[in-house]
Amino acid sequence: MKPGTRLKSAACDTEVMVIRTAGGTIECGGAPMAEVKPAEAAALSPDHSNGSLMGKRYVDADNTYELLCVKPGKGSLSVDGVALVTKDAKPLPASD
Amino acid sequence: MPIEPPAAECGPPIPLWRWADRQLRELAAITGSQAIAALNGLTVIGERGSVRDFEIRGRRSAGVGGSFLNPTRDGSWFALTIMRAEDRAYLPALFGKPGMEEASEEEIAAEILLNDSADLLEKGRALGLPVACADEVPASPPVEVLARGAHRFREPGHRPLVVDMSAIWAGPLCGHLLWLAGAQVIKVESSKRPDMIRSSDPQTFAIVNQGKDCVDVDMADPEQRDRLVALIRRADIVLESSRPRALRHLGIDAEQLVREIPGLVWLSITGHGATGDAANWVGVGNDCAVAGGLSRALAEATGEIGYVGDALADPLTGITAALEGWRAYQAGQAVRLGFSMSAIAAKALAEERAFGRAALDAELRAWGAARGKLFPKVPRRAGLAEVRDLGADTEKWLGKTAAC
Repeated sequence: MKPGTRLKSAACDTEVMVIRTAGGTIECGGAPMAEVKPAEAAALSPDHSNGSLMGKRYVDADNTYELLCVKPGKGSLSVDGVALVTKDAKPLPASD
Repeated sequence: MPIEPPAAECGPPIPLWRWADRQLRELAAITGSQAIAALNGLTVIGERGSVRDFEIRGRRSAGVGGSFLNPTRDGSWFALTIMRAEDRAYLPALFGKPGMEEASEEEIAAEILLNDSADLLEKGRALGLPVACADEVPASPPVEVLARGAHRFREPGHRPLVVDMSAIWAGPLCGHLLWLAGAQVIKVESSKRPDMIRSSDPQTFAIVNQGKDCVDVDMADPEQRDRLVALIRRADIVLESSRPRALRHLGIDAEQLVREIPGLVWLSITGHGATGDAANWVGVGNDCAVAGGLSRALAEATGEIGYVGDALADPLTGITAALEGWRAYQAGQAVRLGFSMSAIAAKALAEERAFGRAALDAELRAWGAARGKLFPKVPRRAGLAEVRDLGADTEKWLGKTAAC
């Protein structure tokens, strides 16, 4: 998958942009994400329902995966079942 | 005040200096400040480039790092600013191509030419990169009323208290002009992330932050944040240049404070606006000048595109925010005003064209022909007051912090 690809959650409103990825399955709300939303929504897994936050960057422990949330939703993000965490806020100059 | 003719190796006056000058005349009139009356527009927009010996470099912005303009597939021009080394991590996503983190400027230019400007803008802004297109229309109005509150009566002669949480140039210049107008200004910096030009550009820092008391706050500490909010509640004017979302995450609710505190004037300086999608976009002085149409204006006048001035959207915005902020303070009604740097650049350009199109075009042609020369030299302003160290006045304004 190319960096910059936009993925949509099958289980909620979440959308992400892929910053970095490897071979694993990127999921939201416990269901695999895809470029197109499925006709039938997947069930939101209670184990993956902490929500995603607009503008937050989500990474795995090894920093192999990084996703940017471009639309928030009820599901939380994971790769192969392992939850991603928000990247520590980096300096945010709005304007100079 | 007459402008001294520039030395031979220096470039011509920065276009739009006359517009800046007219705003300063207006500010001097409403504040009654002799110090502001003594300033001229070219000094304020040109003193950073002058003191730092910046060179006019065409499609590359002045100074270190910075911004560069490249053509896109659809015949426009895309400005990309790489401010921080870590921003390079987002280049693969911007171009949809792995391995771009280490790309050279030539490789980046080649990728830009494969893309349309609208796609690059949309992706770059989602990624939090300062990007702009020479042909975009600013997304927000130059000045927007975001909230209103109640009136407050101040005795004539009351010295306004300004809490200035902004950084780098536009916001601090606004705070500086308010200080010249007689306000007491408290500069608030994050303990962990002070204003970056305090160390990277001490000369400009000294010009725009002289005379301000300096307070530092660890925003992650709820007690210190609460003390800052208590200080804000005493202020007449608050000035910040955070992204609206970042401010909310810090636990500061600007609109709530404006509704609660009679007379509080809250000035929010943003790259492209404080509402809607644009509130999430990052913008700095050079790319906002491009988004405001200044580079396109240069291309129309000279046939060749480039940057006009040095981060020109910054000083144009700083002057505008001081003017609108002082007017709001005089009116006495609590208000939050959002300033969009790209829209202010566009407004200044439109007003200057209406004021004297021929003179402006002549200045743009002279600017375009001056590539390789230094920025015009402007008289260096004498320091009028001390430049305080980071946190030198924290105890005075926020009180003693609890012993650990």
